[in-house]
Order: sequence, then C-alpha cells, then structure tokens
Amino acid sequence: MDRNNNRDPVYLQIIRYFKEKIAIGELQPGEEVPSRRELAHRMKVNPNTVQRAYKEMEQQGLIYTERNHPSKITTDINALGKVRDELIVEAVDNFVLSVRSINVPVEELLELVRAKYIVQDDEEVKA
Amino acid sequence: MIEVIEVEKSYGRKKILKGISFTAKKGEITCLIGMNGVGKTTVLNAIMALTPINKGKILIDGSPLDKTGLEKITFIPDTITMLPKMTIAEAMEFMNDFYTYWNQERANELLGFFRLNRKDRISSLSKGNAAKVNLMLGLALDVDYVLMDEPFSGIDMFSREEITNVFTSHLIENRAVIITTHEVGDIEHLIDKVVLLDDGLVTKEFSAEEARENEGKSVIDVMREVYQ
Repeated sequence: MDRNNNRDPVYLQIIRYFKEKIAIGELQPGEEVPSRRELAHRMKVNPNTVQRAYKEMEQQGLIYTERNHPSKITTDINALGKVRDELIVEAVDNFVLSVRSINVPVEELLELVRAKYIVQDDEEVKA
Repeated sequence: MIEVIEVEKSYGRKKILKGISFTAKKGEITCLIGMNGVGKTTVLNAIMALTPINKGKILIDGSPLDKTGLEKITFIPDTITMLPKMTIAEAMEFMNDFYTYWNQERANELLGFFRLNRKDRISSLSKGNAAKVNLMLGLALDVDYVLMDEPFSGIDMFSREEITNVFTSHLIENRAVIITTHEVGDIEHLIDKVVLLDDGLVTKEFSAEEARENEGKSVIDVMREVYQ
C-alpha cells in the first residue's frame, strides 16, 4: 500500500489493493485471502481497519466467507470482470481529467498513448 | 474500558490538567498527543495512581481505581527501569517475582519477536534494544490495559519499525492500548483513536479513519489545525 497516502481512508486503500490484484489476475477466483491479522501485519495497518475492508468487500460480493473457514475471492466471474472494467474506467477518467486542461486534440493524444505503450512494452521485454 | 473523567491535577500552583476526559476501549489503540509539557505523562501517571489527582475520576471497567483495577494495567515508561547490571534473564525473573500476571511464555515469545538475547546485560544494550526489552517486560504481563509512554523516542528507524510491528500482532489483540508519542507519522495507520491535549484540556478526540473518510484529512492535518 502507498505509505505516503495518509489522507484516503485506509479501508478504501485496502479494497483498491485487492481490486488491482483481482484485475491483473494475481488473485484468482476462489483463492484464499490472508487473515485479518496477517494482512494488517503485511500492510502495517490497524487490524480493525482490515476487518472493515473485508466486511465491505463481502458486501460488494468480492470475497465470501463460509463458517470457520478463511475468506476467499468470489468465484462469480461476472463480478470479477466488473472490477477490471471499473478500474480501467476510473484510470481513464483520471487521465482525461488531467490532460484536458492542456487542450490536446484527441488524435494527437491517442498517438502519444500508443507510442508510450510501445516504448514501455519494449522496456519490459528488455528487462 | 478506561474512563478518564474531568481529571484535574496541579503541581504547586501550576495547574497541569484542567479537566481532562477521554476513554480507551479494549481492542483499540488510543494515541495521546500534545506538545512537550502538556501533561501526557501526568495523565498516564494518574491512571496508574502514581500521582494523586485533585479532582475528577478514573474508572477501570466501570470501577474506581483500586489494587485490583491497577493490576489490570501494565505501564511501560519511556526508559527501562531495571538495574543496568542485570541481564535480560534476571530482569525477567524480577518481573516474575513481583507481578502476579507475568506470563513467561509470552515473554519468551516477545524475546523472539524482538530478537533479543536473554544473556545480554541491560547496560550493554543499544538504545533500540533497551526500548525493546522495556516493551517486552511490559507486554509480557497478561493484562487488558497497556499504557506506553513515548515508545519511539530517540530510537532509530529500523527499531521503530520493529516496535510498530507489535501493534499489528496478536500480542496486543483485544487489549486497550494508550500510547503517547511525537512520532505520529510512524503509526497513523495503526491507531484507532487520537486524543489531542492542549493547555490542560482535551481539544479534540477523534477516530483517525473517520477523519480520513469524512474530511479527507490525515492525523497530522488535524493536528496542524488544532495547534497552529
């Protein structure tokens, strides 16, 4: 988690962390999530806050808990697909918002985005 | 729950606490913040009945302080109080002899947690390790209430990190912790509640997560507003 972000509610930061892991497939449907205390320890946040994040994720249908078992990522593929869409739309919204003020024509912008993507892909291949 | 109700305390003519009230619940970490000399340590001393108060009440689980109430609390002062020539093992024996709720198993676990060597003498310890021994001795008591006075003062970054790990561990699970500190940035994601003291009074008592959620403010943002 971003240690420098001390203004956003920590439980939302935790939920976001899970959504990102789900979107890139690092957390698979049905996979067990760490215990409340384990995650608190790893992220260095208050265990009560982790509890709150897990409760919220349960309500959103992202994780589920069967009696006396560790919580797991939902197996509802639709719900998981929505998480990815949601993150993409949110990122694009932020991008558009910040770039709007510079008044770049959309065609020019798309060219730049494409070029950047290729450079980044190349760099990843080299790495 | 610890309830501090309208507590007043004077040293001679100087009134240090002018009617302080706040509560600390089990399963929560309550952080007392205030500039130097504002009376944070006096509050902790008053809870431990180490200093008589002039007015007000302090209740532990609903009852006024008495010997049983005090035995439910462990007070971890800002410096270790064991004799320098003692080894860590001897300090542990001393605690075992004098404290009813000393839990040897938990003490051993804490030794491992902080990677301490029981044969080391107190006088030979680095500042960071002395702080860890101090915490180990206090946290090894099987009690519901933990008071920590400035556990991070004068300690290097890595030792501070190891000490903050205590706050997410089962070692303080279900206990009520009251901590005083100047290093809020280190623990602002770990604490539940903040009590800001100024000029002998509680100027603000708030939940750290609610300040972030409802006002988009960090604990330090709120402190700036109150103290500047």
